[in-house]
Amino acid sequence: MRELAKSGGLPVDLASAFDASPNPYVLLTPDLRIAGLNQAYLDVTRSTRETTIGRPLFAAFDSGPGAEAPENVRQVRASLEKARDTGQRDHLAVVNFSISHTDEAGNTVFEERVWSATHTPVLDDAGQVVFLLQHTTDITELQRLRALAAASGEGNALDLLGGAVIGRAQAVQADNQRLETERNQLVEMFMQAPGFVTILSGPEHVFQMHNATYAQLIGHRAITGKVIREALPELEGQGYFEFLDTVYETGEPHEGRGSKVQLQRTPDGPLETVYLNFIYQPIRDSAGKVAGIFVQGYDVTDTVAAVERQKLMIDELNHRVKNTLATVQSIAVQTARSHTDPKTFAEGFQARLLALSHTHDLLTRSHWEGADLRAILEHETEAHGPHRISLNGAPVGLGPAAALSLGMIFHELATNAAKYGALSAPEGRVLIDWGVADQTRPVLHLTWRELDGPPVTPPTRRGFGSRLIERNVRHDLAGEVKLEYATSGFTAEFMVPLDREKSE
Amino acid sequence: MSQPLSGQRILIVEDESLVAMLLETILEDMGCTPVGPAANIDEGLKLATEESPLHAALLDVNVAGRQVFPVAEALKARGVPFVFSTGYGEGGLPDEWRGQHTIQKPFTEAAVRDALMAAMGVAQV
Repeated sequence: MRELAKSGGLPVDLASAFDASPNPYVLLTPDLRIAGLNQAYLDVTRSTRETTIGRPLFAAFDSGPGAEAPENVRQVRASLEKARDTGQRDHLAVVNFSISHTDEAGNTVFEERVWSATHTPVLDDAGQVVFLLQHTTDITELQRLRALAAASGEGNALDLLGGAVIGRAQAVQADNQRLETERNQLVEMFMQAPGFVTILSGPEHVFQMHNATYAQLIGHRAITGKVIREALPELEGQGYFEFLDTVYETGEPHEGRGSKVQLQRTPDGPLETVYLNFIYQPIRDSAGKVAGIFVQGYDVTDTVAAVERQKLMIDELNHRVKNTLATVQSIAVQTARSHTDPKTFAEGFQARLLALSHTHDLLTRSHWEGADLRAILEHETEAHGPHRISLNGAPVGLGPAAALSLGMIFHELATNAAKYGALSAPEGRVLIDWGVADQTRPVLHLTWRELDGPPVTPPTRRGFGSRLIERNVRHDLAGEVKLEYATSGFTAEFMVPLDREKSE
Repeated sequence: MSQPLSGQRILIVEDESLVAMLLETILEDMGCTPVGPAANIDEGLKLATEESPLHAALLDVNVAGRQVFPVAEALKARGVPFVFSTGYGEGGLPDEWRGQHTIQKPFTEAAVRDALMAAMGVAQV
């Protein structure tokens, strides 16, 4: 055991105990070279220290030339690597592994044996695996006895076993239970996952299992055991079958982001459009060959819709801003034509701009759903003294376009009244009466009547104000207006349909 | 300044009266005769099919919540050149109308004149 003590750094007394143990042990480095083995191991494998120490385990023991040898080696290697990579003990309850010895004639003979092995990682202070300890028991006799017992129906061969093998069998049993619990937990997580999950197997993509979210996505159709092209026929031509085929053929995962999918979510219903983030992940068998596809993802329809809505809103906002700028540009150009004095131009332009701005404020307060007629009238006339203006009418809700138009129109009327009409005289008044006639469609009737002002003479030329009023009512509001310049006072009569904006 | 478009009859389709008035003013300053303005698609279609002579048109893309393209089709069928006006950006036109002469709101008198002349194939003077 001195070799081991040197190579493995084990304390000498522990090394002695190791060597003296009746249980066969071999100590391996992490790259699976033999660091040491005890006498019991040498005995059971009929080998010597000289031919084993320092050599790769599977060079020293290769299970012979039999057809099953590579598989035997693979099983033992897999168990050792698992113990090494996980830092957890691993059990091989039963494994075939042939052992060689030299017969009397000097020939190498291989003998099939059955083993039960435990692979225990030995950790250093830092928790790193420095050695792997293999404890193996030759159970060839036991297997033979079990076979005999099974054949004769006598007794239980397990009764004949020593403690090490029983313990190992129990450990394996416990491991299986733990694995079963883990598996159940995984399935539970799978079924409860917030995203959709399904497993497809084989080149035809047969549904193995799917969770509740996936069932909801596809309208709770019975799909388990069906190939996808039959289970979800509406996907034909949408590209997804082809993606699955490619993932299966190439083993490369496929990812979709915000992918548009049309699905039959109710029987005989129309195809519904959903947007999905998803991944098709290949599942490989133990030989590394693609055996199925794991499908996982989320329905992002709401997010895609929100992004789309936001884009539309930005486009619409841009449209409105550009239109408003064009309107302001028009006001500026038209106002400039009726003012030669820059000072009066600035006053007139600003007043019109503020009238427009105020209606915007009213509309913003209602999130651009509309504004009340009285609120618009009050704002456009309040500067001229509320006691001189009489507003009579029930509340009338105006859509945004009508509100903007009428705001401009009342501004022009009030400005004209203050300059030339009733509000230019101390005693002058304005009576504004309105009502909504609702026969087949609601129509606003509004009268603006000026009283007690200076005698009225019809204008010799139509200014921007009166043109704006007439054009706006006819063009923007599809209504009618009559402007009358009676000597006793100016009158304007409006008829404006109120249901236009809803129908547009 | 010379008036290469003098006497031309130009249809206006535009739902906002103030913008329509601005276009009329600009056209009148160029010596043109404004036709319309049409405040909606139906009115625009009627003028685009029946008005004669008609030398060109200025078409707002979004007219009272509807798109002006039926009017554009009618004009195209008659061989009357037209210019789109739009508040949307360059991307505001669907693919089939991309490349049409377009003016962006708000517009200058020069932009309106240049776009009309280009659409009508009148040489710059």
